[in-house]
Amino acid sequence: MVCNGGANAFVEFFTRPTKLIHFKTKKSIVFSAHAVVFFLLLTVTHAWADDTADLSPSAQPDVTLETNKAAGEAEDDTWAEEDNWGNEWGEEDAIADPLEPLNRVFFHFNDKLYYWLLKPVAKGYSVIIAEDLQIAIRNFFDNLRSPTRAVNSLLQGKVKDSSVEVARFVLNSTVGILGLGDFAKDVLDLNSTREDTGQTLGYYGAGGGFYINWPFLGPSNFRDSLGLLGDAYLHPFIFLDLDTEVIVGTWTLEKVNYAALTMGDYELFKETALDPYAALKDAYQQHRNGLIKE
Amino acid sequence: MGADAMNKYSKQVSWFWVFLLMLSMVLLSGERTLASANNDDPLVQLQKSTDEILMVLQSEELKTPEKKVERKELILQVINRMFDFRGMARSSLGPNWNSLTIEEQDIFVGLFISLIEQRYIGKIDSFNDQKVIYKEQRVKNDKARVYTTIIDKDLEIPIDYSLQLSQGRWLIKDLKIENVSLVANYRRDFNSIIRKEQFAGLVEKITKQLEKAEMEN
Repeated sequence: MVCNGGANAFVEFFTRPTKLIHFKTKKSIVFSAHAVVFFLLLTVTHAWADDTADLSPSAQPDVTLETNKAAGEAEDDTWAEEDNWGNEWGEEDAIADPLEPLNRVFFHFNDKLYYWLLKPVAKGYSVIIAEDLQIAIRNFFDNLRSPTRAVNSLLQGKVKDSSVEVARFVLNSTVGILGLGDFAKDVLDLNSTREDTGQTLGYYGAGGGFYINWPFLGPSNFRDSLGLLGDAYLHPFIFLDLDTEVIVGTWTLEKVNYAALTMGDYELFKETALDPYAALKDAYQQHRNGLIKE
Repeated sequence: MGADAMNKYSKQVSWFWVFLLMLSMVLLSGERTLASANNDDPLVQLQKSTDEILMVLQSEELKTPEKKVERKELILQVINRMFDFRGMARSSLGPNWNSLTIEEQDIFVGLFISLIEQRYIGKIDSFNDQKVIYKEQRVKNDKARVYTTIIDKDLEIPIDYSLQLSQGRWLIKDLKIENVSLVANYRRDFNSIIRKEQFAGLVEKITKQLEKAEMEN
């Protein structure tokens, strides 16, 4: 009884003022609340385990969790990769691009979209919205992806990362005020991972498939496009049952905000590449493969 | 044995421990300063060069429009000491490098340097309150990796350097920004041009690109 009451109060805290979330049954509410508590407990115990481990004299505060975990095999990993890096001609196979003519059209479209629409809008936006607020808005959108990251970390067997994401989501949505601040990182040093559904598919051995340069969305491949679909279903907006216009509107805001924060980066990349289409395609492949390996 | 003798004994013992503790502290701290002050470390060398660049960037005196050229020259001087440009240029051409004459190779190295400088300086010029964290280094014989994170507008961007020891100095032979290797990315980019327009087409394209950038600045 106490537990149920507590869970209801917990959920009501989020739902009543906004009336945004409609869970179907009371049971699911209790279940999700239990799940949250379970993950929070996991995080705390793991964090505690880390503290004790860090007493060893060689522990360095700056080394990330991944490095700690792989300390034993790190040496071999590094130099196996080093051989790959140092080997001048050896590299991953280029990503297949049977749709190249179409992809190039969409690349051109996105390019013009940026220079003619997104950039001027982002410039005006920067005049009105201060940089600190832009960072807060980016945090807000990033926080909404926490559930996606939590689920995908779990699917890849990274239980700890998953519980960290849940803790981050709960803390940042409340103490961090709707995710505008990153309380979990700034105060508790809980760092986000960058998992998504495409990476989970990659983790289980799915190759990238062919390259797709989507209009509006930009570079992707077959696997990661499926992944985007999975990510969308794990996004809180789906649960909120928002209108399409609202979703497109917020998505646009996120894009404008991002463009304002990274103003100049795309221009520089494009101006110092010879075939920007090919350079972007390769950068996408390298970036994704690196993320999957993590 | 009286109580006095016991006290004296325990006092001696405690002084022994204090002495041992101090000795170990001296030894440990000595070791630590030795390790961190080693000028031959790739991490230390990288940090020193980067700090030099940051100093130029932050110098109020050099921020005036008249000093723009001087400022750029100062940054370029440091950058030229940091990178193994010839090695990077060769690596970025892949197997195509060997089919070039020495003169062609020299021309290409020059163009490659300008291209990298343009990308590097363009980004660096917008630096103001970014912070660089030097996480760790791994050294094996004459090769090294240095892992850094740059904090830009509250966002952490990982940058990994691959270095090669050359005549007592660690030179950068590649860097990965968010997993994307600069050299590998240019190799793909160059190859895409060479396949269709051969080496001459590549040279022409880089020259044009640089002229365009020159006009804009």
